[in-house]
Amino acid sequence: MIEVLGLRKEYRRFRRGRTVAVDGLDLSVPEGGVFGFLGPNGAGKTTTIRCLLGLVRPSAGGCRLLGADAPGGLSSVIGRVGSIVEMPLLYPRFSGRRNLELLGALAGVGRTRAREVLERVGLAERGDDQVKTYSLGMRQRLGIGAALLKDPELLILDEPANGLDPAGIVEVRELLRSLGREGRTVFVSSHILSEVQQIADRVAILSAGRAVAVGPVGDVLRAGRSEGLLVRVDDLATGQRALADAGIVAAVDDGLLRAELPSAGAAAVTKALADRGLYLSELRPDEADLETVFLELTRGPGEGAP
Amino acid sequence: MSRLLSVEFRRFGARRLVRVTTALALGGIAFGAFIAYVEHFRLATLPDVPLGTAFPLVVMGWLLGASFIGAEWHAGTVTTLLTWEPRRVRVLLTKAIVGVLSVFVLTTILQAVMAAALFAMASLNGSVAGAEGWLTETATTALRVSALSAIAAAVGFAFAAVGRNTAAALGVGFAYVVVVENLVRGLKPEWSEWLFGENAGLFLLGPSNDFPFLERSQLGAGVYLVLLSATLLAVATMVFRTRDVS
Repeated sequence: MIEVLGLRKEYRRFRRGRTVAVDGLDLSVPEGGVFGFLGPNGAGKTTTIRCLLGLVRPSAGGCRLLGADAPGGLSSVIGRVGSIVEMPLLYPRFSGRRNLELLGALAGVGRTRAREVLERVGLAERGDDQVKTYSLGMRQRLGIGAALLKDPELLILDEPANGLDPAGIVEVRELLRSLGREGRTVFVSSHILSEVQQIADRVAILSAGRAVAVGPVGDVLRAGRSEGLLVRVDDLATGQRALADAGIVAAVDDGLLRAELPSAGAAAVTKALADRGLYLSELRPDEADLETVFLELTRGPGEGAP
Repeated sequence: MSRLLSVEFRRFGARRLVRVTTALALGGIAFGAFIAYVEHFRLATLPDVPLGTAFPLVVMGWLLGASFIGAEWHAGTVTTLLTWEPRRVRVLLTKAIVGVLSVFVLTTILQAVMAAALFAMASLNGSVAGAEGWLTETATTALRVSALSAIAAAVGFAFAAVGRNTAAALGVGFAYVVVVENLVRGLKPEWSEWLFGENAGLFLLGPSNDFPFLERSQLGAGVYLVLLSATLLAVATMVFRTRDVS
């Protein structure tokens, strides 16, 4: 669906010199499902999306969308691609409905479809109001609506949950999940990692213009941090020694003991501690979440743990 | 292409600036008609009227042409448009064609309304005597004014497309008219045959002693202005085709 090969983008600005936004990025997004594109601010996510959509020209490397080279061949596939780049930018003095109708007219989409989309993104009642009166979240919904107008096979959404309230975030999450289930490919960049973790099948984590992790969410989580068990006991030092005597590597971590064992090793931990007369008050798997992995992978050289 | 044209025409017609300037022009026409009524307007002088209204119409053309693309840059909607139609040359030229044609049609209609209003005033409380051939003469002059307004729209559009906002185009236009043209007239008058103002004057008024350094014909001045605006549009298109949109 999306192929990015050796993509590099440099910006040269007067007085500010050269900035490398994307530095040799390789990426392959398969067909179907939700693909999360993650990275800290300035990692190159939006620049990559702009390259995919032909808005900026790569300094080196290239991109392919639905088999077509970007930007040269984009016109042949753009009718199958819906997108939002950063904030959805629409005509502020036109109503939401008129904006959608005008965009739809470019692709031969009728007014009925614009009405359906307004309903789907929850803007049917405000559709005739000028866009300049919309809140940030409403503009975001309208942008998502515009991206859906063409009934696209591929959706490229840059931070679609920006500005949405918690209820809106949940709605967008459900919407993206349902779009992925329908067989569409949803390529979504976001900094709300918990959201991405809940909906994405695969992720890529970008740091300083390069992909530092790519793959199914589970694999990336496992790659980011070893499995472990967190144990709470009153006497951490004795507990650590007890586990070491039992051949279990453990370290003190934020007032707990972290044993380097998979969840299946919980019995060995309880036994080792009980044999020394130590009784644990808490035992749980230390599951890495995407946020932790993200922070570990994108931390700059020399930066310590948060 | 036809979809894009249709959408751009709808956009142009729905723009607030277009509606406001049209309303102001209609107000001006109504006021002019009132004066004509009070002053017992003579139909024989009607062919001179479009020359009197040429300046505001040319400025209006410049403004509408510049803001048609300048407002898109300002609002960031160029990005949105390009995610729907990535063929940039097609996008920019379509917008330019729509802007130029719309300005031509709008200024022609406004002048037709003005001529009709003045004809009515001359018939009601003025004189229609000695006005043979007024219609042809007025129409010819008015069409030249409309053509010049459309050329101004093309030039304004080109500057705003390169400068990425309307103010840039207006600023460049103002600086050119006030500074560059006057400097050339004062320091190198023999170069004035290449000035927009001189050629616009010749195109509207015909050969006259006011333009001593212009040896070309009235039609030649029109052709020069068209070539000038086409060149500026070509440059704007080249810039737009290769620039990053961010």
